[in-house]
Amino acid sequence: MSPARKPSTALRDPAWLRILLLAVALAFVALFLVLPLIAVFSYAFEKGVETFVASITDSDARAAIRLTLLVAVISVPANTIFGVAAAWLITRFRFAGKNLLISLIDLPFAVSPVIAGLIYVLLFGAQGWLGPWLADHHVKIIYAVPGIVLATTFVTFPFVARELIPLMQAQGSEQEEAALTLGAGGWSMFWRVVLPKIGWGLAYGVILCNARAIGEFGAVSVVSGHIRGLTNTMPLHVEILYNEYNRTAAFAVASLLALLALATLVLKQVVAWRMRRAAPESEAA
Amino acid sequence: MSIELADIAYRYTDAVALDGIDLSIQSGELLALLGPSGCGKTTLLRVIAGLEFPDRGTVRFEGRDVTRVAARKRHVGFVFQHYALFNHLTVFENVAFGLRVRHWWKRPRRAELKRRVGELLDLVQLGAHAQRYPAQLSGGQRQRVALARALAVEPEILLLDEPFGALDARVRGDLRRWLRGLHDRIHVTSVFVTHDQEEAFDLADRIAVMNHGRIEQLADPQTLYTHPASPFVCRFLGDVNELPPALHARWTGSREADAIAFVRPHDLELTPTYSAAVGAVVEAVRDLGATVRIEARHAALAAPLVAVYERGRFDAADIRPGQLVDVAARRWVIFPRDA
Repeated sequence: MSPARKPSTALRDPAWLRILLLAVALAFVALFLVLPLIAVFSYAFEKGVETFVASITDSDARAAIRLTLLVAVISVPANTIFGVAAAWLITRFRFAGKNLLISLIDLPFAVSPVIAGLIYVLLFGAQGWLGPWLADHHVKIIYAVPGIVLATTFVTFPFVARELIPLMQAQGSEQEEAALTLGAGGWSMFWRVVLPKIGWGLAYGVILCNARAIGEFGAVSVVSGHIRGLTNTMPLHVEILYNEYNRTAAFAVASLLALLALATLVLKQVVAWRMRRAAPESEAA
Repeated sequence: MSIELADIAYRYTDAVALDGIDLSIQSGELLALLGPSGCGKTTLLRVIAGLEFPDRGTVRFEGRDVTRVAARKRHVGFVFQHYALFNHLTVFENVAFGLRVRHWWKRPRRAELKRRVGELLDLVQLGAHAQRYPAQLSGGQRQRVALARALAVEPEILLLDEPFGALDARVRGDLRRWLRGLHDRIHVTSVFVTHDQEEAFDLADRIAVMNHGRIEQLADPQTLYTHPASPFVCRFLGDVNELPPALHARWTGSREADAIAFVRPHDLELTPTYSAAVGAVVEAVRDLGATVRIEARHAALAAPLVAVYERGRFDAADIRPGQLVDVAARRWVIFPRDA
C-alpha cells in the first residue's frame, strides 16, 4: 500500500526536453485521435440536426442498430460465461493440454478478423462442409444473423478470459479453500467468494468485449452479405452509406459508434480506478 | 474426535511430500507437526483437511474412513497461514460465512446467527471490531478472526497451518498462550504445523518431528528433548555440539569408534586445565545478559564448541578467552556417525 512516489529527481530530464516530449505526444494524439473525432461529429452535423436525426432514425439505420445490439446481447454474455469458466479451469486445475487451451484463447487476437469470417463461410456456407446439410434442414447461418453472432463471438472470445486469468493467478486459491473447509458448495463459493474477488476485473473485460462486439467490422463483413435492414450491423451500415456518397448519413451513424466508444472509455476508466482501489486491500490481507 | 492416519503417501509431480505416514491423534489433544520447510508437514495437514487426497493410505476420524470425503463435508476447522480472510466481507460476515452457506434447513435463524457470531467474536476479543474489514485489522487481529471463522461451524477438529508465522515476536508469544488457554477450555482436537521448535514445545501436548515426508519421532516435548530418536531430531531441536570419541570416551565410557556424543550447549562443562592433550582453547566469551555463551576450539573439530552458562555458574567458573579448558558434559546422547 505504498503511496505513489514522484519520480526521482536524478531521473528527471531537463525542462526543455520534457516540454518537447509532451508537445510531441500531444500533437500526435491531436492529429490521430482528437481530429478524426471532431471530423466525425462535424460531418455528421454538417447538414443540420434534422438531417442527423433523419439519418439515424431511417428504417435501415434502426435495423442496423437493433442488429448490433442483438449481436452484443448474445455474444457478450456467452463470452463472459466462457471467459469465467476458462479462467477458473486454467488457474485452479492442473490438466493435460492447459497450455494449448491458453494459446487457443489467444487465437482470435492473432488471426485476422477477415480470416475468422472466412472460416465460418467455409464451414457453414452453401459450398462449405456443413452447407448442404444445413440447407437440407433449412438452417441459414451465413448471410444471416447466426453467422454474424458466431463471427462476433469468435473475435471477442479472448477479452474476458485474458483479463481474468492473470487476476485469478495473482489472487491464488486460499480464500476458495477456506470457503471449502467452511462447508461452502461450488455455487455459493462462486457467488460469495470468487465473484466479489474478480468483480471489477470481470467488469473491465466485459466492457472491452462489448466495445469490440459492437465495433467489429472485418469478420462480420465477410459473413453478413450486407442485406439492408436484415444483416447489416452499424459498422457495415456506415460503409454502405459512405460508398453511396451519402457522407452525412454515414458520419451520423459513425458518430453513434464514436459516442459509444467514448462512453466505453469513461466506463473503463471508472472500473480501472475501482480495481486499483480494491487491489491494495486484497494484498494487505 | 480422534484422527488416525495409516500409511499416508503423497507425491507432487517432481517430489515426494509424504512417504508412509502413520499417526494417531487422540481426541482433545493438541499436536504439533514440526519440521524444516519442505518436510511435508503442511501437505499432511491438508490431507487431514481433505484439501489434498493422498495417493495411498487412509484417514479416519473416530474410526470412520474419510479418505475420499470432500473437504466441505469433513467439518474440520482450518486456519490458513496467511489467514485467507474474505477481504470483501466484514469481520462479522467472515465469521458468519460458515453458517450462511449451510443448506437452508440447517441454517440458524437471524437472531441465533447473530448471537453465535457475537459469542465467537467475544471469545477472540474482537467484539468491538465486528463491522471492520480485514484490511483495517492488525496481523494478530486477523489471525483471531480466522480462528473465530474456523470455530463458527463447531468443528471437532481444528487444523492450523503456521498459525503464528506471519506475526512479530511479541504478538506471537501472547497469541500462543491465549490459544493454549482456548484449547484447554474448548478441547477441540487440534493439529498445528510449525517450523519453530520453541513454539511447538510451548504449545503442544505431543510433537511429531517430520523430515523428508516421514515422521522421525512422535513424543511429548520432554521425551523429545531428553531422548531424541535420531541425530536429525537432536539437531532440529536446537543448537547441539557433536563430539567425536576422542573428546567424549573418557566420560561416556563408549568404546565404539564411530560413536558421536550429542551435547546441548547448556549441558557442556568447560573446566580450566593445564593439559593440552584433551583441552580446547576458549576463543570467545559473549555476555547475553541472563546467560553467557562461550565458544572454544578443539583441533579435532571443524566447528567451535559452544557452551551456554547461566550468569551465576559463569561467574564461578573463571573462564576467559585464550584459556585451555577440559571438555565434559552433564547430559548427552550417543548416535553412530552418519546415522
